[in-house]
Amino acid sequence: MRTFIHDQKVSAGMEAASMAPAISRSGFRCLVGIFCLGLTLFSGCGKLDFTPREEFSRLEPYAQNYVSTVLKEYYGTPTEMVVWDRLPVKKHLSTGKVTEATDHQVVLELSEPHQEITSGTELLWTSGPLKNQGSSWIRNWDEKTHTATLVTALKDPPEAGTTVVVGPGQVLVRGRHLYAVHCQHCHGVSGDGNGPTAEYLNPLPRDYRKGVFKFTLTQAQERASREDLARTVEEGIPGTYMPSFKLLTPDESESIIEYVLWLSMRGETEYQLVRFLSDDYSKESVAERVKDGLEKKKAGETDYETYASIREDFVTAVNDPEDMQSELDSMIELMVSRWTSSQTPEARLAPQENRVAYDARSIAHGRELYLSKDLNCVACHGDAGYGDGPQTYSITKDLETGKENVEPGLYDAWGHPIQPRNLHTGIYRGGRRPIDLYSRVHAGIKGTPMPAFGAKLKDQDIWDIVNFIYSVPFQTEQAGSGMQKAEDPASAEKEVAIK
Amino acid sequence: MKWFWCVFFAFWPLVAVVLCAIAPSMGWWLPGPAASPLGHRIDDLFYMILVITTITFVGTQVGLAYVLFTGARRTDPDVQEKTWFSHGSHELEVIWSTVPALVLLFIALYQLNVWAEYRVKDAFPKKDMESVLARLHQKRTARDSIALAEVTARQFEWRIRYPGFDAEGNLLPLQEDPQPTDLYAVNDLHLPANAPVMINLKTQDVQHSFFLPDLRVKQDAVPGLVIPVWFEAEHIRSYPLLCAELCGWGHYKMKARFVAESDAGFLNYLRNLHSQQNYDGVQQKADDGDE
Repeated sequence: MRTFIHDQKVSAGMEAASMAPAISRSGFRCLVGIFCLGLTLFSGCGKLDFTPREEFSRLEPYAQNYVSTVLKEYYGTPTEMVVWDRLPVKKHLSTGKVTEATDHQVVLELSEPHQEITSGTELLWTSGPLKNQGSSWIRNWDEKTHTATLVTALKDPPEAGTTVVVGPGQVLVRGRHLYAVHCQHCHGVSGDGNGPTAEYLNPLPRDYRKGVFKFTLTQAQERASREDLARTVEEGIPGTYMPSFKLLTPDESESIIEYVLWLSMRGETEYQLVRFLSDDYSKESVAERVKDGLEKKKAGETDYETYASIREDFVTAVNDPEDMQSELDSMIELMVSRWTSSQTPEARLAPQENRVAYDARSIAHGRELYLSKDLNCVACHGDAGYGDGPQTYSITKDLETGKENVEPGLYDAWGHPIQPRNLHTGIYRGGRRPIDLYSRVHAGIKGTPMPAFGAKLKDQDIWDIVNFIYSVPFQTEQAGSGMQKAEDPASAEKEVAIK
Repeated sequence: MKWFWCVFFAFWPLVAVVLCAIAPSMGWWLPGPAASPLGHRIDDLFYMILVITTITFVGTQVGLAYVLFTGARRTDPDVQEKTWFSHGSHELEVIWSTVPALVLLFIALYQLNVWAEYRVKDAFPKKDMESVLARLHQKRTARDSIALAEVTARQFEWRIRYPGFDAEGNLLPLQEDPQPTDLYAVNDLHLPANAPVMINLKTQDVQHSFFLPDLRVKQDAVPGLVIPVWFEAEHIRSYPLLCAELCGWGHYKMKARFVAESDAGFLNYLRNLHSQQNYDGVQQKADDGDE
């Protein structure tokens, strides 16, 4: 089932137009002035829309059309969202059942902890004779007794057990509004990390459309859990431009996270679909196929492809429920199952052993592991932990400038250059708790070259590495110096000579 | 028509007197009642200045009205009165130079105490601050900082560093450089109430301004400087903490909260922070085992 949510539209221009008849002819010049002012002020407020990703424009027009149609059907536009029940997102304030009802009041049994229900909230009946008879609206909600007083009396009070959706889609609508206030200017309308302020930022804001979030406490193969996203919103990401939004209420934070998840799912659907179609229906590959067809035709073969036949094939594939539709189905199914499984308690990393004491032995062992060939941390983070390992310049080494640290050799999943963390700064982007650092080592950092070491290491070893990482900002000697005071090489030579 | 303008200009000093008289009781003048002892004194200074400026304003308006009325009368037919040409009067020049100068000098001297106590390090209520630290059982020597937290402004949030606890659970003094025992928070400053407490204010990037409107505390955070700021909250509650310097496009995002706590509440908060910060993810499993 899909539900359409109509949201108020941003249309300042409409208001200006409706004012026009009230203004007399002598005020015409004034009106023109206001119009010009309005045009300037609201020129950026055109119709809010999800911008497609870059690869989208490389598809053939009919393939583009198909992608747009699919996205519009299942996700809608920013102002008229479509709630697709297949997505594992909390959309409604709550769902529940009627336990008692009069024509004016209904007592509800709600299924889960719910967001605040206010007057004016919609009640959508989903079973019984009231289904499809239009919604009811709450005039007054009593949280203690879970009693809703309705704006208009019902003809027949619903029977006990009638299912109802409270505030259908309201969590997402609320999330969208808050997202527009707090997040959109960096993360963009479609969650592409390309809002108007994004160009001033380094590192760039997260692009949600891959479904990948970096800082999680989940297993390496799992995605982010809701708690991970909540922690990022609440604590911010030190060392980046992501600030802390600590003053948001839990309801507000939840709404934003659900909307971000929804955006991420929309973006991933687009990403997968475009990627799938790019193989056969990008402008480039179609041109190639047509060229091959021409050659076959010249060779005298009868079975060859032309531009028209490729297009026809595409239309057939789209209309065939066994073909494109089932492909889309399995894409969505995979995405949904991945998001759902990462919310389960099993997805969370669970260290079996307590963190070992922060002492010299543990730090020394951690350092040994850090420097070991097997783990090869130094390849990126450098032997002294400054994030300047050979990997940072081994792939694309710019000899002209010679700036090895700045000129990066590592790239993240979004194709942006990325630097390994300098362990000396004492800034921990994903949080500074032991469990945070443990997760970085155990499960890696998703979407980056930081690998997961969980399979290779025992908990004890990971804790030793964690302790070593904690010690780096405080060490006076550089790692690799053998943890000994530097000696005058001249005197050392003398000693050798005496021996 | 001329009498209309005379009355019109004479009307405003009356309005000014009325507005000035009712402004304090209506709360138009300041952002809510002051919530700190120094804040009350700062408010008193503001009100004193309000009174002085009101008197000055009313005086000049009355003078203006007088000139208007006499000037208007002289334009009546059959009036032979001549205008008094005052330009270049040495006496008048001296009067209107010295009177405002004296008023300004008075304000400058009168506020010195408050200013010194708020801004001059030697005039800080150091003893009271140390007694708070003693009440918190901080393990300290005379050389240790009396600051209880380091607040670092950053585009666009407030990052806070508290001293942590030693192995026995005693509160340590705040060190200039980060320590392994330090505790960290963001956008959430907790400090004891009903006692003067000091923070060290820093900025990581551009200029910001630490603003507690209810406590009448506003101090710029300047790159490269560590600025001591002290305040005393009178009530155990939460106060808004804002940035008062346009620091960039996200300036409006720099909202945080300052929570004034009881001594025990503050220590509790730090202990909580300590256990949160040392969470290694195993605890949950141990709990399950107990059940």
